[in-house]
Amino acid sequence: MKRFKATALILVILLGGLFIYVAEDIPDFGDPNAPSIKSVKLFDLHSGPSENILNQGGVPGALTSALEKRKFPLPSRAEKVPGEEKQWNLFIPKNEAHYANEEKYYWVVKEGEQLRIYRYAFVVRWFEKGLEETAVPNMVTHGLADYRGYDTLGETVVIFTAGVSVILLLRRRGRL
Amino acid sequence: MNPKKEKGSVVVQTVSRIMIPFIQLFALYVIFHGSLGPGGGFQGGAVFASSFILYIVVFNIARGEKRVPESANTALSSAGLYIYGGVGLLSMIFSLGAAQYLNYGFIPFTSHFEENRALGIDLIEIGVGMTVMAIMISIFFDLAWDKGKEKEE
Repeated sequence: MKRFKATALILVILLGGLFIYVAEDIPDFGDPNAPSIKSVKLFDLHSGPSENILNQGGVPGALTSALEKRKFPLPSRAEKVPGEEKQWNLFIPKNEAHYANEEKYYWVVKEGEQLRIYRYAFVVRWFEKGLEETAVPNMVTHGLADYRGYDTLGETVVIFTAGVSVILLLRRRGRL
Repeated sequence: MNPKKEKGSVVVQTVSRIMIPFIQLFALYVIFHGSLGPGGGFQGGAVFASSFILYIVVFNIARGEKRVPESANTALSSAGLYIYGGVGLLSMIFSLGAAQYLNYGFIPFTSHFEENRALGIDLIEIGVGMTVMAIMISIFFDLAWDKGKEKEE
């Protein structure tokens, strides 16, 4: 019995050491080096003369053909990112196959001789258009009840079903 | 074990008699401020149900059944879902052929599309709150109280 206690003590110390070893690497809040969730990287493109075209608000032909080859929606105009050098937002036009309104869709960054093409995540549109579209300041609520209204309806149905099945199973009143 | 003869502690009964209205007020606050601050239908409904469950635990279950009868629970739980689905159907009717189910902007509460969406969100939060509250109380009654057995004894 005494030996068993000693083994348990050693095991506790070993596990404690392992926990401290692992916990040292966990950052305080999130991972500062993780890639941003605001955009998804698509591909790189050799820059050439496209910087001038982007600055004038047009979309260079090489970029359009590269997007067409990968079957992405095609942008119609470019705009400089406010307060940033060598960064542009590309907009897809109204009445595109999947989007009814004009949407900010691509993010282009020039690094050296390369153009890096990113696609904005849905989160960005949620941040920028949510209050404007629903007049509800709480981001969670307008996501839960408006953008994902069907989902919340389904959740409520699940709760209702749980209640009804408890009634059916437990409220027998002597039957069965 | 007849629950009608049991007597609880006077201290607990007095304190909860004062506390329960405030808990219910807080629950209503949580439901109606779902669009402005933290909160919403689910949380508010759970708080509301917990106030009734406190009443049932402190006083006895037969008195609790008089306050929240089974018929009211059944009616409220389905009424909440009907409100949710009904708001969706209303927006479908008012969108006139566009068939925008659950797009609250088309219901003419006010003249602004965005304000209508905010009011629609408030309405469905009330529906969700009603369903959650009634279902939680109903499950609590079913688990805590076997009515059929009592009548046999």
